[in-house]
Amino acid sequence: MKRLAFILPAALGLLLFPKVSSTFYVLLLTEILIFALFALSFNLLFGYTGLLSFGHAAFFGLGGYTAALLSYYTHISLVPVLAISTLSAALGAGIIGFFCIRRDEIYFAMLTLGFGMMVFTVVHQWRSLTGGSDGITGFEIPKLNLVFAQISLFSPASFYYLTLITCSLLALTLWVITKSPFGLILKSMRENTERVAFIGINVKLYRWIAFIIAGTIAGFSGALFALYDRMASPTMVHWTMSAKPVLMTILGGPRIFLGPAVGAVIFYLLEHIITQYTQSWMIFLGAVLIPIVIFFPEGVMGTIVMWIKNITGRGTDG
Amino acid sequence: METLLINILNGFCYGMLLFIISVGLTIIFGVMGVLNFAHGSFYMLGAYLCLLIVSHTKSFWLAALTAPLLVALLGALMEALLLRPLYGRDVSFQLLLTFGVLLVIDDAVKLIWGAGYHSIEPPQALAGSVNILGNPYPVYSLFIAAIGPCLALLLWFFFHKTVYGKMIRAAAMDREMASAVGINVPLIFSAVFFLGTYLAGLAGVLAAPLRAIGPAMGDNIIIAAFIVVVVGGLGSFPGAFTGAVILGLVESLGIQFVPQIQMAMPYILLAFILLVKPKGLFGRE
Amino acid sequence: MKRFVSFLLLVVLSLSFTGYQTAKAKEDTIKIGSVYIFSGFAATYGQFAKQGLLLAADEINKSGGILGKKVEIYFEDSHAKPAIALRAIRKLVYEKGVNFLIGIDSSSVAKGVVPYIKELKIPLIITHAATPDVTGKQCNKYTFRISVNINQNVMAGAKIAANTKAVRWTTIGPDYAFGHQSWEYFQKYLKELNPKAKFMKTVAFPKIATEDYSPYITAIMAANPDGVFISLWSGDLVNFIKQANKMGFFKKGYTILMSLGAATEVLYALKDQMPLGIWAGTRYWFLANDSPVNKHFVKAYKERYGVYPSYNAQNAYAALYALKYAIEKAGTTDKEAVIKALEGLTFEAPAGKIYIRPEDHQAILNVTWGKTAYDPNYPIRILKPMVIFKGEEVTPPVEETGCKMK
Repeated sequence: MKRLAFILPAALGLLLFPKVSSTFYVLLLTEILIFALFALSFNLLFGYTGLLSFGHAAFFGLGGYTAALLSYYTHISLVPVLAISTLSAALGAGIIGFFCIRRDEIYFAMLTLGFGMMVFTVVHQWRSLTGGSDGITGFEIPKLNLVFAQISLFSPASFYYLTLITCSLLALTLWVITKSPFGLILKSMRENTERVAFIGINVKLYRWIAFIIAGTIAGFSGALFALYDRMASPTMVHWTMSAKPVLMTILGGPRIFLGPAVGAVIFYLLEHIITQYTQSWMIFLGAVLIPIVIFFPEGVMGTIVMWIKNITGRGTDG
Repeated sequence: METLLINILNGFCYGMLLFIISVGLTIIFGVMGVLNFAHGSFYMLGAYLCLLIVSHTKSFWLAALTAPLLVALLGALMEALLLRPLYGRDVSFQLLLTFGVLLVIDDAVKLIWGAGYHSIEPPQALAGSVNILGNPYPVYSLFIAAIGPCLALLLWFFFHKTVYGKMIRAAAMDREMASAVGINVPLIFSAVFFLGTYLAGLAGVLAAPLRAIGPAMGDNIIIAAFIVVVVGGLGSFPGAFTGAVILGLVESLGIQFVPQIQMAMPYILLAFILLVKPKGLFGRE
Repeated sequence: MKRFVSFLLLVVLSLSFTGYQTAKAKEDTIKIGSVYIFSGFAATYGQFAKQGLLLAADEINKSGGILGKKVEIYFEDSHAKPAIALRAIRKLVYEKGVNFLIGIDSSSVAKGVVPYIKELKIPLIITHAATPDVTGKQCNKYTFRISVNINQNVMAGAKIAANTKAVRWTTIGPDYAFGHQSWEYFQKYLKELNPKAKFMKTVAFPKIATEDYSPYITAIMAANPDGVFISLWSGDLVNFIKQANKMGFFKKGYTILMSLGAATEVLYALKDQMPLGIWAGTRYWFLANDSPVNKHFVKAYKERYGVYPSYNAQNAYAALYALKYAIEKAGTTDKEAVIKALEGLTFEAPAGKIYIRPEDHQAILNVTWGKTAYDPNYPIRILKPMVIFKGEEVTPPVEETGCKMK
């Protein structure tokens, strides 16, 4: 329980954040948390199962659009809206995943890219339902219906707390999954698929389940994002959005559980700092990414952890 | 009927442009197993360099000669410095590295040339229109349509009838064996990357008078190139040719007949091929 | 595990620290946040709007500012994407602490951002985005529009179309709110003016930043229309015209109306390639008004930037002046008071007299259309003959807009 000694201050810091910081940073941290969860879900596939998906935004967008549609057309309260949005992403992941997991490596990546862009074109073309390239806008965040009160999540601080609590819970869930026997099997599939199949494990089934879990959680983060932005637009589903969790994971490191989350923080910090001086921050991102891929494939977090392991001789599991 | 024929022509012209871009991508993959995400950015670089050279020398042909070479030099540099350390590692890392290069080139272009759009005119000799089926049709598009098959033939000849071509194919089929026979495999890889990015740059130069030159060019075309290459068969260039023609026709005929879902059709095609015949139409390996 | 948690804590703490660093708004400046498209197919529009704003700001600051306070303008790029524009606005409002917002080119962005403005409670003066919705269905007390919108521009176009012989009409427009709504209102208004008009099933809505228009051009030419209503704008219009020229589109004798063809961004990009004799609309035409205000504006703009002012430049310029007059009328920069002062404000802009209708916050001003013509005195096509419509002639009454603010 030594860990608690360090988790507690971090948790305290996050909880008190809106009290000590300006609205702008509260909004920024909210966005970081949402994308951290998105990246963590992606990494279940990449870091743990060895599957590089370039279409993960499809589920992010499915969750987002469902949340937007429900908020725009109905008066359903917050919890059901989030639940239904997450379910729709799960459904999408189930269908798309069924096809994608049949192929390996590059072909898997291409399939996810293809399906992701298919979702994009549906969202972009179906103007009457999705608003086409304009997206869905002009709705309010549904209120949270507790038995004793109706809470509005209108203010940046309250939405931040919602995000903090839900994303932490889901991240914890993911962590538990990775530590479970299921997670261990995923990791062995990443290392050597053939051997795992020889033991009698249905590789395709496990991959499919991992895909669905990853897509479901991505859907939740997408729903949160749509509510945060008060809009859903086709950019949420485009392959450039799928690239974001990939970049964040590589930045932070795919072999440590919280690597992608750290990557999300680095990503947003870099953007925030660099855009004070110039609009061209992608060039810096690329310039940072390239040496990381070549020299530090474990990412920033992973490399730091490795150094510490080497120095202290103590082990940590990833 | 006329519209159909004109649209087939439209589709074929676009297809040929796609072919020139994609053939470089597929050669690189076929020989080195690297899927170059930055390929579209090299194409865009070719177009921008063409813009630069034309604005200073007023000669499109000079640009056509030099711009692809410059792009290829950059490509070879990228291969030697950045990709080589990654051989033997997981394919995902090579893909991610090329994605990093994409980010750098895309922003560099904006920094140098600004974020807006530019355009140049086709060279005098090809600037006019001819009458096809009663309507004017730009000569330059026909030029592109003609270059495609010529290039295909040239490449086929190179790969099948010359020593160098055969060396490259040997290295593609079996690296260790080729190296055992004395073929300098690393050199071959650099040469192939040079050739592949040369073709991307050439496609950019050729596309420059046809389409607006802007910072989104690379992003737009890379997905189309991926689809062509996967549909045709990674590493096969009869595949790249066929895939390009199919995609070009899907685009233009799709707009004519099924405009609502036309946007989705390339991806449906991609998914279909990947699920039914993942090696692509002409895939071997 | 513990190290990275400490790392995380460090990050969180440093973020909170930076939170304290936010510049306290200097009480002696008026900060304006401005969001336009600065990249991509419409990059010149943002650029020209910025130029107009900076010209206005310099003039105002040189003559003592507004209520003695200097004007400072912060610019952000919307990339024509609603989500990015929202982030930019959040940054402007929360990080830079701006008092007022001016801007928005894209109707998509406007539709995405206007509902949020209501939450932010900061006045926004829209100077370009033309969807009727922002002063219609989505109208709210914080949103104003100083520029000609779709209804006004298209009504004027419909009046011109009704006077031509064309009966069968089709359209080519960008595949988003602006393109679709322009066509929707064109059909509505033309049908009222000319019951004989027919609207064809074959239409073209290429997506924004389409690179190859040839399939669309072929499709429209094959359908053989009498009249073509084109709502493409900026880089898309330039691209389209270049490609259409080569395919003989403009030699077929169609009656062509380009609702934004007379934007100087487009005319400068095309120069001689802009076909002659096309009916073109705009949101401001620099030669349409002889007033001293306009003459001064055109001269000052040309001297400073070397080109004639586009509508985006004028609209931004006028918006800042409108803000100035409203603040002076209210005697304070308090947002609610400025809003009241803007409602019903009448002032002289380079485009002519502008009246901001209190019921929906839409400006009523003259709308100019004209036929593209060659004039040796100008490096670009000009409009001759010019047809100037009075604002009241072409602006729908409030009941029709769907705005329920009052």
